[in-house]
Amino acid sequence: MANRRHFLKLSLAAGLAAQPVFTFAKSDDLLVACPTAMSGTFSAIGKYSDLGIKLAVEQQGSVQGRTLKYRMIDTEAKPATAVRRVQEAIQQDGVRFFPGALLSAESLAMSKEIHKSGGLLITNAGADELTGVECNRSTFRWALPTYSIIQGSARPLIELLPQAKRWYTITPQYVFGEDLLRNAKALFQEKGIEHVGNSYHSLTEREFSGHLTNALASKADVLFLLNYGAQASDALRQAISFGLKEKMTIIVAAASGLEQFESLGTDICDGVYFGAVYWHTIDTAFNRTFVEQVRAKFGISPNYSLAAPYINMRMLIDAMDKAKSTEPREVIGALEGMVFEGLTGTEEVRREDHQVLRDFYLIKGKSKQNMRDKDDYADIIHSGRFFLAPEQTNCKMA
Amino acid sequence: MNLYLLQLVNGIGLGMIYFVLAVGLSIIFGLLRFVNFSHGAFFLLGAYGCYQLVQMGVDFWWTLLLGPLIVGVLAWLIEVFLFRKVYHFPHEIHILITVGLAMVAQEAVILYWGPVGANVSPPELLQGVVVWDSFIYPKYRLFVIGAGLALALVLGLLLEGTRLGAIVRAGSESTEMISLLGVNIQRVFAAVFALGAATAALAGVLAAPIRGVDPFMGVEVLGIAFVAVVVGGMGSFAGALAGGLLVGIVQSMMSSIWPPGASLMIYVAMALVLLLRPNGLLGRA
Amino acid sequence: MKGYRHSLFVALFLLLLPLGMKSGSLATELVIYAMAACACNLLLGYTGLMSFGQGIFFGVGSYAAGLLLLHLGSSLAFTLAGCMAAGACVAALVGWFSIRQRGIYFVMLTLAFAQMFYFMAYSMKEITGGDNGLLGIQRPDVTLLGHEVLDTSDPWAYYAVAACVFLVVFTLLQRLAESRFGHTLLAIRDNEARAAAVGYDVKAFKLLAFVVSGAVTGLAGGLHAMLAGIAPLSNIEYHVSEMILLITVVGGTGSFLASVIGAAVYVVTADWLASFWPRWLMLFGFLLIAVALYVRQGLWGVLQDVSARLQAWRTARAAPSSAPERHPGRQA
Repeated sequence: MANRRHFLKLSLAAGLAAQPVFTFAKSDDLLVACPTAMSGTFSAIGKYSDLGIKLAVEQQGSVQGRTLKYRMIDTEAKPATAVRRVQEAIQQDGVRFFPGALLSAESLAMSKEIHKSGGLLITNAGADELTGVECNRSTFRWALPTYSIIQGSARPLIELLPQAKRWYTITPQYVFGEDLLRNAKALFQEKGIEHVGNSYHSLTEREFSGHLTNALASKADVLFLLNYGAQASDALRQAISFGLKEKMTIIVAAASGLEQFESLGTDICDGVYFGAVYWHTIDTAFNRTFVEQVRAKFGISPNYSLAAPYINMRMLIDAMDKAKSTEPREVIGALEGMVFEGLTGTEEVRREDHQVLRDFYLIKGKSKQNMRDKDDYADIIHSGRFFLAPEQTNCKMA
Repeated sequence: MNLYLLQLVNGIGLGMIYFVLAVGLSIIFGLLRFVNFSHGAFFLLGAYGCYQLVQMGVDFWWTLLLGPLIVGVLAWLIEVFLFRKVYHFPHEIHILITVGLAMVAQEAVILYWGPVGANVSPPELLQGVVVWDSFIYPKYRLFVIGAGLALALVLGLLLEGTRLGAIVRAGSESTEMISLLGVNIQRVFAAVFALGAATAALAGVLAAPIRGVDPFMGVEVLGIAFVAVVVGGMGSFAGALAGGLLVGIVQSMMSSIWPPGASLMIYVAMALVLLLRPNGLLGRA
Repeated sequence: MKGYRHSLFVALFLLLLPLGMKSGSLATELVIYAMAACACNLLLGYTGLMSFGQGIFFGVGSYAAGLLLLHLGSSLAFTLAGCMAAGACVAALVGWFSIRQRGIYFVMLTLAFAQMFYFMAYSMKEITGGDNGLLGIQRPDVTLLGHEVLDTSDPWAYYAVAACVFLVVFTLLQRLAESRFGHTLLAIRDNEARAAAVGYDVKAFKLLAFVVSGAVTGLAGGLHAMLAGIAPLSNIEYHVSEMILLITVVGGTGSFLASVIGAAVYVVTADWLASFWPRWLMLFGFLLIAVALYVRQGLWGVLQDVSARLQAWRTARAAPSSAPERHPGRQA
């Protein structure tokens, strides 16, 4: 009698544990997985990345005789969860290709894990280490490291406003922010800009009033926001409320994308400069076609979280066709040095550090009256390619 | 010198929002002996209520009234149908149920409004800055300080001058006593809970034009609310004011000197108060 | 001798798990959370202390493993010992201060400490890697006298290691619970004043419970760092503290086996649900409310209820005329 009870509990426990994690792919299909934040603070990313991969997969259908299928992996914006789910995808479902990662901390962690298992990761995170000191043969990056971000945003602005000699920076105090600041200071020195002050803040900061009043007091000509995402939005919003827009030019080093403009609105973004990894009005044939396709299929204009995984997927497909194989080693070989038509024009995967050489944009926010359609928040003012030479990146690929 | 003055004013502005947020939590604990981990959720719902109303074309001034009202009614319903059952259970149960509620609220917000935040503009009248010599300050933040003071005044009068206030004050000492004196405890609890939630919602509405709305603002702000309540004194109205202002000023002053230190210091302060003077600076024994 | 039965069941469960799960990593994570939940239960269920600070010990264990492996290249056994020691030390510190208060003040103190340690970890970038955490942690193999016995790079091999460690820990915790120490803790939980009056040094017992809990949680954190190859900042976040506590509650505070069940259900459901509904946390929220209101003994209580009813039903079937209709009571 007692045995029954315990047996019941045990079998219930075992039964609960025996949830087969489903996989719909047949053995011949090629299953790729996009690891990104689907829940938690960054859930907006996941939603759009799903669409981007879906578009690429459905457009292509099959590659090298294998039907393309994809799965989204929810990293919950936590590196440990990302690693664990990537491990599962590798072991359980034999996934080898991981396009579309977007966050730095998890990309760094996944990069090591995927390299260990002989897979391929294409990431759009900004941490320098990914194609720098932590580079490896399995990892490729489509987006830009901090050097390029600073060069692509601040340099054209310096040239645009030759009278603006005094710059104030607001920097989040962590690796990515510090790297941005370091590069900014180097640029300032080169261009004879007076760096009149810097404010550090923590990653959980919401209150920028103190930093903004410092900026005001320093009588800067330009306020350079080196933070990202929600923090950049908060800092910008509060800067406007302090009337900084009338007193100085404001530039955000890296915009998160269209949804940032949507959540801030034209009143705030009008006249503010942003560095952008992607913008839907990029004037290349590839992008124009892409935007049309996205609008036709999903009824929205593509934002960065949608475009980046899409182009990652396309790169993967092109490489597979070039290598005539779906074996990771051979695809990696085909990717290295590959020149292809991408969203920003002709792009090239640099062999030495697996960084894709492509344009970065400086865009300027517009007022409501000047908007041509509901997504026309900004105009592209400048585009260019700025990359450190491979020797300077500390990347030593085994 | 001007810089420190500005930091101080910033701190006071921040502190006022913290006060409005914390006062409900404090009084709810003082009277109901109820630990409310869903207080942040009322803040969240207030902020989103404001956003939604503004989107629908309602004037911001009205949201200051409607936001807290809607959340207050919601809270009243939750109290009657849910929390009332668990008052006599140990505090751990309170924590569980309110944490669960907070989770549900957060996910519901994401379901309806999406995970990306949104912006709420201050009303026309309060946009722009005041300039006084070299002192430049956003009008809206001055308004928040004013609103906080006004609320403090109103609540203070309520507590000291009305029958309900007397009941709340007496009830904080002993609920048994006041029910023996013929007061309908159920109704008082429900009213106080609704009021507490409404003030949290008001804090949310006030905060929205400063920091925008996003689904995680409830969780972020809960820790601060607890610090303010603990430091000021659980159950004390004046304590919530003192606690809120203290936290706001410390955060503001420290954020330019040592950013992570700002958060570290307030939690150290919380631990110190709990260890040395658990009733808080202004709490009663 | 209930303890041996439970340990046997856990052993069986751990043996059967690979048959039901396809992912060694997920299975290992289940074991890790089960460990953390058991440690939390020692404080909550056995001592009556609701600690919001378990994440501190988990994160510290994680960092300890990372630092030992990255800087010293230590062996598996040494690393595990190091994590336990680190967890125990920090728990002694946090516990010593926290037990000075009781009830809600105690809870708040642990909360304050959790936040403090988070911001300290964030600031001490040189040691903890700050926001990036510690990366590139190499998982050590199982060695005996310098010879490699088991290559842990295979996920199931590592699972075997984690499972063995957990089984040992579980059995020891059971023994502890049934010892005089355990019974004293229960006495303290039920009536602290009486326990003190009888002559027990209540503070010392509570502190010891903290130390044990911290050691086990630190161990779990260390295993986690070796599982993921990283010791991230998120392991010491308040969220981890909250989750460990909630898992323990949902599982049930009646026994350590309950904690295992709670962890199993949480890890598997989270993984499974998350893949098709990103808003699954909402269900977890409802589950919490349900547990708080109706099933305060957690899932363990539900299971006990169900089996008790089954028993009563069977008894009634066997002798329908004799047994009066008895409502199956809930065990304490």
